[in-house]
Amino acid sequence: MELAGVIIVIGIALAFDFVNGFHDAANSIATVVSTRVLSPRLAVMWAAFFNFVAFLVFGTVVAATIATGVVDPDVLSIGVVFAGLIGAIGWNLITFYLGLPTSSSHALVGGIAGAAVAKGGFQVLIASGLQKIGVFILLSPLIGLALATVVMIGVMWGVHRHRNVARLNRGFRHAQLVSAAAFSLGHGGNDAQKTMGVILAVLIGSGYLPVGSDVPLWVVLSAHTAIGLGTLSGGWRIVKTMGSKITRLQPVGGVAAESAAAATLFFTSHAGIPVSTTHTITGAIVGVGATRRLSAVRWGVASRVVWAWIVTIPGAWLIATVTYMIVAALS
Amino acid sequence: MDRRAGFFLVAAVIAAVLVPVTEAGDRWVPIAVSITYLVLAVASWADRRTRRAEHRRSAPSP
Repeated sequence: MELAGVIIVIGIALAFDFVNGFHDAANSIATVVSTRVLSPRLAVMWAAFFNFVAFLVFGTVVAATIATGVVDPDVLSIGVVFAGLIGAIGWNLITFYLGLPTSSSHALVGGIAGAAVAKGGFQVLIASGLQKIGVFILLSPLIGLALATVVMIGVMWGVHRHRNVARLNRGFRHAQLVSAAAFSLGHGGNDAQKTMGVILAVLIGSGYLPVGSDVPLWVVLSAHTAIGLGTLSGGWRIVKTMGSKITRLQPVGGVAAESAAAATLFFTSHAGIPVSTTHTITGAIVGVGATRRLSAVRWGVASRVVWAWIVTIPGAWLIATVTYMIVAALS
Repeated sequence: MDRRAGFFLVAAVIAAVLVPVTEAGDRWVPIAVSITYLVLAVASWADRRTRRAEHRRSAPSP
């Protein structure tokens, strides 16, 4: 019976990873598609490939943070992880329907924390882990924004000296392939690890692995396969928000935003910090817009993103709490 | 002050506020981010000032 529960929860975790790839595909390919460097079909294949191969580049430090750094591992059970996942998936579906680029990562942290608190009270929360995640929730878009602004200023300075703008634009169209690949690599590295963390949590919680275990290779490969397949399926609803609604991006802006976001993700994945890839790229796109003038950024759309950002953790928390109470009552 | 410089200044303050609540090992991150925004705020202010001066110089005298 317990094995069946573990298999079901792992299946739901991989479904969450698939939806994450589907939901976030737009982030890495919006600019490549909108500037017609690649067709939508080729663009999603490009992103999916780099999502998958990310396991060769990054370790599993983020997975360990999710599995043992958010709540006390002793409170993790199949029911808690199940309710946490339902909270995250439920919140993602609501915001997907509304076309809001919210963070699957924050939804996952909120969901797991909500379900764990419903089971064991607030003392099960690990303050240091949550503090680290909370600080980087704010810092990751700020880092993306600052890096994108600095890169754009450097590029504009180069363009000003270069003069041959047509040739430069051609160069940036091709450079977008590299920056989109780097961002997809960072996305695969950080986001697939969150699913690995959830699977690791359920394996530890059900006693199949001892606390402190490394992530098994089959978990690493299945998480990267799920996110890659999700990206391959492509979510187009958010492409419009990321590619044109926040600010209109040109090839040069796309390269700056993607490379800045990729650098942020590389750093945070290396440091074991689960951050929102969506908010990192959103911050970077705002940074690109801000180099022209602040009015180039559509602040109405940006503020909707910020509101969604603020309510994601409480929203997923609430759904997970209710789900856990139902699960506990039924069992 | 121009709005963009103000925006960068607010970002610098937010990053600075995060310094004490960040773990000691990662504290250099909000510090570096805060300094970057401060530099951007000064650069933005200087850019606007230069543009205004150029605009005044190029405007036809009465």
